[in-house]
Formats: sequence, structure tokens, C-alpha cells
Amino acid sequence: MNINRLSWINIIRNPFNTMLSLLLMAFGIGIISLILLLNKSVEEKLQRNLNGIDMVIGAKGSPLQLILSSIYHIDNPTGNILLEEVNKIKSNPMIESTIPLSFGDSYEGFRIVGTTHAYPKLFQVNFKAGKLWGKSMQVVVGSDVVEACQLKIGSTFYSSHGLVEGGEIHNKYAFKVVGILDKSNTIIDQLILTNSASISKVHNNKKHSSHTHEGVEGGCSVDHNEMITSLLVKFRSPVGLIKFPRQVNETTNLQAAVPAFEINRLISLLGLGLRSINMIGFFIILVSGLSIFISLYNSLKKRRYELALMRVYGASRFQLVKLVFQEGVLVSILGLFFGLLFSRVILFIVSFFISKNYSFYSIHLSLIKEELWLFPIALSIGLIASLIPIIQAYRINIPKTLTNV
Amino acid sequence: MLKTEGLSFSYNSSHIFTFPDILLQQGEDLLILGDSGVGKTTLIQILSGLLSPQSGFVEMNGTRFQNLSSKSLDQFRGSHIGMVFQKSHFVRNLSVLDNLLLSLYLSNKLQDKKRAIHLLQEIGLADKLNNMPDELSQGEQQRAAIATALIKTPDLILADEPTSSLDDNNCQKIITLLKEQASLTNAKLIIITHDQRLKDQFNTSIEL
Repeated sequence: MNINRLSWINIIRNPFNTMLSLLLMAFGIGIISLILLLNKSVEEKLQRNLNGIDMVIGAKGSPLQLILSSIYHIDNPTGNILLEEVNKIKSNPMIESTIPLSFGDSYEGFRIVGTTHAYPKLFQVNFKAGKLWGKSMQVVVGSDVVEACQLKIGSTFYSSHGLVEGGEIHNKYAFKVVGILDKSNTIIDQLILTNSASISKVHNNKKHSSHTHEGVEGGCSVDHNEMITSLLVKFRSPVGLIKFPRQVNETTNLQAAVPAFEINRLISLLGLGLRSINMIGFFIILVSGLSIFISLYNSLKKRRYELALMRVYGASRFQLVKLVFQEGVLVSILGLFFGLLFSRVILFIVSFFISKNYSFYSIHLSLIKEELWLFPIALSIGLIASLIPIIQAYRINIPKTLTNV
Repeated sequence: MLKTEGLSFSYNSSHIFTFPDILLQQGEDLLILGDSGVGKTTLIQILSGLLSPQSGFVEMNGTRFQNLSSKSLDQFRGSHIGMVFQKSHFVRNLSVLDNLLLSLYLSNKLQDKKRAIHLLQEIGLADKLNNMPDELSQGEQQRAAIATALIKTPDLILADEPTSSLDDNNCQKIITLLKEQASLTNAKLIIITHDQRLKDQFNTSIEL
């Protein structure tokens, strides 16, 4: 028997009060931790897909939409642009390299992107099997696609029109898998890559049918002039970032968007909502502190004689302080750990359901830097909540308490 | 040896309690009788070092209480004095046996579980070892409280009205138990009470 064991016994012998304080603390911590983890996951995901892309050129429209569609493959594209016009820009000396993207078709919900070999190289992908495409209608598939669609080298499939499942099947030409990529935790995992010509080929064939493509929705080349959906640009120096996008936007029919800028704008928009949820979480933590205080205070009121008795047994003031302090802080620390666990379980369950489309699968099961703040917060809440009971225990008047029962 | 001289105490200026001097050798018993309001509880708290007297001193085994810091006095009380109260109290979340072990822990003594079980068996609580104090009858509770005071083999046992809420039968049992255990460990025993039933049971007694 010792003080540590006694505080533990006191906690578990008072299950309802303890449970309430614990749940509140776990819930508050859990919410904040969940927001931090999601935020980190989203930000990392956004940043990881951004490397080496300084600017995106596409059809006029929303710059955010252009970024979301061309870099993250979430939104619909803003439309198509003429290759001829793009080529004029490409010769600018400020530009180091460019990568064209054409998309608008999909296979079982995964986008088929027509591009050059430079695109997968941008993500420094490794091959699990096979190699890059050589000629038209050969494709390289990302790891998530392989997993979901059970593809292997040599598999063939038909693309369907549009970016969601259920579009019309382009059943004239079949794609053939020649390469399978390793998991890279980038957007590439969810793409089917081929050359630009394959995309045109599938669609130029359709031109002879009565079906017409409608600009934005289809997003594919149907014109006599060759078209692409967007162009990813890398500058020679950051100076290009300042002058070039404006020049494109003002002097051509094209739109230039800077991903870093658009993403910052998106994150700060999200941040506003995240901050309010954080406030709610923090408020719940405060309430849990109050609950710890009330349950400690009440239990000490009932146990005043007990504390005096312990002093008679020979306990020092410090031992009583230690007892009360541990009862308060233990609950808050347990709440902290349950909270951190809770956010991870939630995230795990959520990612299980949405991983196919938005892939937050890279969950941080280990502690992230931002969460370290929760330790001093939980500790000080536990400490502040136990402060008054601690002072009471310290100043307990033994003769008076022993006589007044 | 326990020795007091010229003890007095007052809660307010209008009334001052003065107490007779006490001299008690190892193994001796003393009964202090007095009606309500004569300062019985005050005296027992002074004797245990919980209250400091306004004048006079308490000296036990050559140590004067007033020369000890409050922390050393806590330790001294913990290891040398066992106290029994009118109403028995326990650490309610601990079993009877664990209360005994806690008493040993807080007085810095070896937590000898075998000895604790043996003592509880001796005072007739063999089948209540793991019961919570609330589950015991009043007589059993008083016996368990005495066991918590005795387990650390104190030099002095101070009992404040240990029998006043008990019937004649239980009263006799408790007194016999206290005297037995005190002589077994050669401890001094002081009982303070208004219970006239105890008058004939002790050789030495003081009226307050």
C-alpha cells in the first residue's frame, strides 16, 4: 500500500465521476487532435503533390478549380486549351520545363491522364512492374488503381467518358497495362497515365458518331486542332512567379494560376473553420477541468476525516497533497491519452471509407509535433482543477476535523 | 515514559482548560474520566501532539513535543502513538486489511501482511479481511479501528471514548482487547471517557 496506489484506488472506486471527467477530457482532446491530424494530413498531401510545379496554365475560369483539377485531380477541369497557343508561351526564356496534361476520361472512377514521361518522373516514382508507356494506348497505373481494379501487366480495359463512374464506354480502343507503379503517397497512386495521343485517339474516333462532347464537362479534345487540358510549368527562377502569371492572364485567352498561392488561400479559408472547431474542443477541455474540480472537491468533502486520519497515522502534509494532486492529474492525463487514441481511431475508420477518392490513408499514428501542446494543456487543466482541493488538503485542521464528525 | 507538566489550553479567552500532570511508565494504564465539556478531547489531542498546549509540555521517551518541527512531530506520532476514536473511521475505499497496511506505510514501518492478518484473526475479524469498512457492524468497526492503531506496535495507545457508543457486551470486549494488546506490546494505554462502566476496570484513574 502506498500513496500512488491509494490515489488510483480512489479514482476507480468513484467510477461515475471519473468517467464523466475522463470522457469530457478525452472528447475535448480528441476533437483538437483530430483537427490537427486532419490538417497535417491535408497540408502534407497538398504540399507533396506540389513539388516542381510553379504554375499551371489552363482555360479561363476559377484559378482554384484549375489547381484542384490539374494538380490534385479532384475538381473538373476548367476546359480545354489549344496546343498551338500553349506552344507560344512555352518558348519563353523564363520557363525551364513544361508538362502537358489531357484528361476527361476515367476507368472505374480513376482518371486517365494523357501526358509525357516527365509527369511520373516529377513524382520520382518507382516501378513495381513493367515500364513507362512506349506507344499509344499503353498505360502505366498507380498503386491504388491496381489494388481497386485488380489490374496486372497485360490487362486491357476500355475507358469511360467523364470523370465519374457510369459514363459512356469508349469501346473502340482498349488500353493495355504496361507498367505498375509503387505506392508513392502522392496523387499518382490514383491515376492511369498514358500519352496525350491516346486520349485524342479515343475521342477523335467518337467524333464520327452523333455524340457531341460538351466543353467543360468532358474536357477532352474533340476539335480538329490539337488540344490539351492544362500545362504544368516550372520556372528557371522565382522571378518568373511574379511576372509571368499576370502576363498570361492579361495578354492571352489562357489562365495562369500559381498553386502555392491558391493552396495558401484554400488553407487559410479552411483554417477559419478549423479554428472554430478547435475552440469548441478547448471549451470541452475546460468543462472537463471543471468536472475534475467538482468531483475532487465533493469527494474530499466526504473524505475530510479520512485525510485527517491519515495525518494521525503519520502522513505528512506533502503526502496528502501528493494524493489529491495525483487523483486530479491522473484523470486528466488518462483523458489525454484516450483523446489521442480516440482521434486516431476515428481517423482510421474515416480513411477506411474515403481512401479511394481522397486518400488520407497516410494517417499519423505516431504523435505529431503540433499535438505536443496538448500535454501541457491537459496537465495544467488537471493541476488547476486540483489546486483548491490541494490547498484544502494541505491546510486541513486535524483536531477540528477529528472532533466535528 | 510519558510525562506532562502544567498543561493548559484555551479556545477563547473566557475559558481556560487546565489539566493535571501525568506520569506514566512503559506498560502502565491510565483512565481519565470526565463529563462532556471538560476538555477530554482537547487533552487527548495535546497528548498526541495534534494541538500544542498554551503552557506546559508533553514529553515522551525523552522527546519534548514542542522541540519537534511539525513534520518530525507527524513522523513521531505516526511511529509511536496509536489512536482510537469514539467513532471509528477508515479510508473508505480500502479494505480492512489494506487500512492496516496503509497505517504501516504512513508510519514508515514494514508492511508485514502476515502480521496484519494474524492481528485481525486474533481480534475476531478473520473473515472480514477483505471487506470494506462500511460493511462491518459497529462493534466490528471499533475492533478494526483498534487493529489499525495497534498494528504499528505503538509505545502509547490513546483512546478517545472508545466504548461510549457500544453496548455492555461490546464495551467489555473492547476494553479487554485494548488492555490485552497493550500489555502484549508493553505499550502505555490512556483511555479518556465519560463512560462510568470503565471505572472499576483500571487501577489508576484521574477525574477531570
